[in-house]
Amino acid sequence: MAKAPARVSSWRQFKAILKKDIVMELRTKEMLTSMTLYTLLTLVIYQIALSQSGSGFDIRLIAAGLVWLAFVFTSMLGLNRSLVHEKDQGCLEALLLSPVDRPVIFFAKAIGNLIFLMIVEVLTVPIFAVAFMSGRPIAGPFWMIALSAVVGSIGIAGVGTFLATMAVNARGGSFILSVLFIPLMYPALLAAVAGTSAVVLGGDGYQAAFWQSVGMGAGIDAIMLLAVFALYEFVVGA
Amino acid sequence: MPEARADTLAVEVTDLVRAFGARKALDGVSLELPQGAFLSIFGPNGAGKTTLLRVLTTLANPSKGTAKVAGFDVVADAVELRDRIGLISHNPLLYPDLSAEENLLFFSEMYGVDDPAARVHELLTAVELDHRRLDLVRTFSRGMLQRLSIARALLHRPEVLFLDEPYSGLDPHAADILDQLIASVRAQHTFVMVSHDLTKGLELCSHALILAKGKVVLFDSRDNIDADEFARTYRSTVGMGVA
Repeated sequence: MAKAPARVSSWRQFKAILKKDIVMELRTKEMLTSMTLYTLLTLVIYQIALSQSGSGFDIRLIAAGLVWLAFVFTSMLGLNRSLVHEKDQGCLEALLLSPVDRPVIFFAKAIGNLIFLMIVEVLTVPIFAVAFMSGRPIAGPFWMIALSAVVGSIGIAGVGTFLATMAVNARGGSFILSVLFIPLMYPALLAAVAGTSAVVLGGDGYQAAFWQSVGMGAGIDAIMLLAVFALYEFVVGA
Repeated sequence: MPEARADTLAVEVTDLVRAFGARKALDGVSLELPQGAFLSIFGPNGAGKTTLLRVLTTLANPSKGTAKVAGFDVVADAVELRDRIGLISHNPLLYPDLSAEENLLFFSEMYGVDDPAARVHELLTAVELDHRRLDLVRTFSRGMLQRLSIARALLHRPEVLFLDEPYSGLDPHAADILDQLIASVRAQHTFVMVSHDLTKGLELCSHALILAKGKVVLFDSRDNIDADEFARTYRSTVGMGVA
């Protein structure tokens, strides 16, 4: 009697997919280069838009919104690319043919996208601060901004990876990410902008407002990730 | 987890239907294939050949009916089944921005292959690509891609190998190499091949199947098939169009 082969651990498969994605991105730099350039161009547009606002305008009032706007549009560009790699030469099929649980593929791709997104964010925030926030210090500590960015980015990477997978599998799929991403991300983005804004602006009780927003953002992330986790099999499968 | 029995049929399909909306790409397909057999599947474009292959390789779910490969149900035991099948397609299913060795090592990890470095070296040598193991796959010719694709499909020593028009786009020399590679592993696997090449398909097979409009037109052992009669039957299906 032939014995079924021992199942390879999901952790081993997760590490293999993540490592493969990182190696390929470091080799091609397609996502990182396009995302960084797009962010810089967005900042240039901001510069043009704000150039007529006058010296009395306090940029801190809209800084959080501007930064998250840049993150959202940049992430849409990168997320679209992240699954295109898998479509080349039928690689996604090869991945799906291997004995891997579909959620393992989702988490590996989402973590990879989160890493690339955060690299771009780390580059963007200092440039934004130098270009627009000179002489206007933020009220709270920087780690609060970072925490807000991490919570918001987890949602972006999770939902974005899910939609990008739908996009590569569907005819005319490039519209899916652009049309569905912002409506689905709206509550999480609202929480992220509110949390970041509280730290930038300060004022009475800003810490309570920050934690409330971060908590709300984390809760929304958890709900969306669970939903995506449950639906991913249907999206990549038959 | 179910265990495959030594006397299990390699492929067992019963009343299989795969529908895309109102259109049935597979319409009541049934067949049984013994272990060690070589099945060639013929049919006109849109007959349902690739859809049948996608269902048998767990890439698509049946709408109705059942299908088992190596004793494992393609839906209920899909993850266990994937350990036991390999697919060689006209698409190489390889990452162009990884080297030949990196591709095979990646898939070794996905399948949990023991001693992956040794297995990868063994297969790269077998497909005569060991000297190019560090080169990016995007630099490979079509023939080299197909040889590497065979190595990828054999990595985990699958019981059943599926071939989806594997000769498509190959020059005669590359086709000869593919013939040799198939011959060298013929005894160790059951093969299911989709082909438009009647001569090649009949030359290789132990069983032949003609599909048209998603239905089985003919399924029989090669020993019971007269090549001329088979060719006439096949040609009569070519005008039947899409399922």
